[in-house]
Amino acid sequence: MNPLNYAILKHFTRVDEACAEDVIEALKGEYGKFRALNRKDVISSLMTAEANGLIEESRFEMDAAGLLRIYYHAHEDGANTINKYIKD
Amino acid sequence: MNAVTGSTYSDSLAVAAKKKVASQFFKKGIVIALFSGLMYGFYSAFLTLGMSKGVWADWYGAKTVLSAFVITYLLGALGSAVNDTTSAGWALLNVGVKGKMGDFFRTLKTKPGQVMILAALVGGPISSTAYVVGLQMAGSIVIPITALCPAIGAILGRLLFKQQLNKRMMLGIAICVIASFMIGSTSIGGDAPEGMFLGICIAFIAALGWGFEGCVAGYGTSMIDYEISITIRQVISGLSNLIILIPIFGLLAGDIGLSADLAVQAFSSGPAMIWIAIGGFCAWLSYMSWYRGNSMCGAALGMACNGTYSFWGPFCCWIVLGVIFGMDGWSIPPIAWIAAVVMVFGILLIAMNPLDLFKKGKQMDDQKIAS
Repeated sequence: MNPLNYAILKHFTRVDEACAEDVIEALKGEYGKFRALNRKDVISSLMTAEANGLIEESRFEMDAAGLLRIYYHAHEDGANTINKYIKD
Repeated sequence: MNAVTGSTYSDSLAVAAKKKVASQFFKKGIVIALFSGLMYGFYSAFLTLGMSKGVWADWYGAKTVLSAFVITYLLGALGSAVNDTTSAGWALLNVGVKGKMGDFFRTLKTKPGQVMILAALVGGPISSTAYVVGLQMAGSIVIPITALCPAIGAILGRLLFKQQLNKRMMLGIAICVIASFMIGSTSIGGDAPEGMFLGICIAFIAALGWGFEGCVAGYGTSMIDYEISITIRQVISGLSNLIILIPIFGLLAGDIGLSADLAVQAFSSGPAMIWIAIGGFCAWLSYMSWYRGNSMCGAALGMACNGTYSFWGPFCCWIVLGVIFGMDGWSIPPIAWIAAVVMVFGILLIAMNPLDLFKKGKQMDDQKIAS
C-alpha cells in the first residue's frame, strides 16, 4: 500500500484526466478510512502537484451542485517523473 | 486550454470561480512562506530563552566547569539537538492525531522519503555544524553569508526542477539578500581570527546546504504530504544530531561520556525544557510552513519569503527576550527596520511585475509566476 499522496498522483498515470471528486471516488475503496481523503485536502494536493509541474490542468466546469471542478492530467514528463519516484 | 461546458452564465461563473481558486492558492502559498519566517523568529527567541534557564544558566555562567570548546561547540549543537528532538515530538504527535502515522512509516521506505532524509541530513546536522565551525573560524562575518541561501535555493530550483527564474525574479532575490546582509552586518565585530577565509568557505557550505534543503524538500513536498515531510525532517535531524553529532563533539572534547551526561541533564532540566518545548513547537510550524510554502510558490519566492526570518529573528528576540522578559541587549538596530522594507520590495518583485499594478484589466493569472 502506498501513502495516500502517492496514490493520488499515481492515479493520474492511469487515467486521461480526473478532478478531485474522481480521485476520491477511485481511491475510497482502499483509502476510505483516511481522513485526508476529502475534497479540500485532495484539491490542495492537486494544485501543489500542478505548481511543481507533475500534472497540468485540462479543463474546468461548474457541476450541478454549483461546485467548481478542475480536471487535471499528467503530461508525459509529469507521468515519467511520478513513475520514476513512485512505484506500485 | 479550458473547454468550459454548460451555459454562458455557468461559463462565466466557472471562469470567475477558477480565477479565485488560482489566486487564493498563490496568495496562501506566500502567506504560509512568510509565516515560516515569523515562526523561525519565535523559535529562535524561545530556544535562546530556554538556553538561558535551568542547567544551561550554570553551563554558560561565570562559575562554569566546562571548557571553552564544550561551551562553544558542544552546547550549541546540544541546544539544536534538544530543540529538533522536541520539535520531532510535536510533529509525531500531529501525524498521530491526524491518522497519518502509517503513511509516515510507509513514506520512509520510498524514494521520495529517502530524498527527504538526505535533505534533512544536509540541512540539519551538516549545515548546522558547518555554520557553527564557520562562526568559530571566521567570526561573525559568516552570519550574513548564510543569507545567501534563498539565492542558492532559487538557482538549484532552476537547475534541478526547471522552476521559473527570470531576470526580474533574480533582481528581487538580490534585493532580499542585500536586505539580509544589512541586518546580518550589524552582527559583524572586529573578531576575524586566523583562518578566516577557510571559515567563510565552510559557512558557505551551510548556505549551500540550506538552499539545497529548501529547494529539494519543497519539491519533495509536491509528492509527500507536507505534515509527513516535516515529521521526517525533524525526526532525522533530531536523532542524527543527538546520536551522531553530539558524541563526535564529545569525542573531540576528549570525553565521549560527557556528551551523554550533558544531554541527559539538558532533557531533564524543567525550567529550560518548558521554553525549549515552545521553541520546538515554533520550529515545527516554521519548517513545515517552509516546505509547504516552497512547494506552493516555488523555491525562489518561497525561500525569499522564508528569508524574512533575518528580520523576524531579531524582532521576536526583542519582543520575547527584551520586552517580555526584560533582558538587556535585544533591541533592534534601526537598519533592521529599513532592511525589512527593502525585503518587502524584493519579495514583491519576485512575486509579480510591479508595473502590472498600474495596468487596468490585467488578468491575475498573468501575475502568477511560480506555478
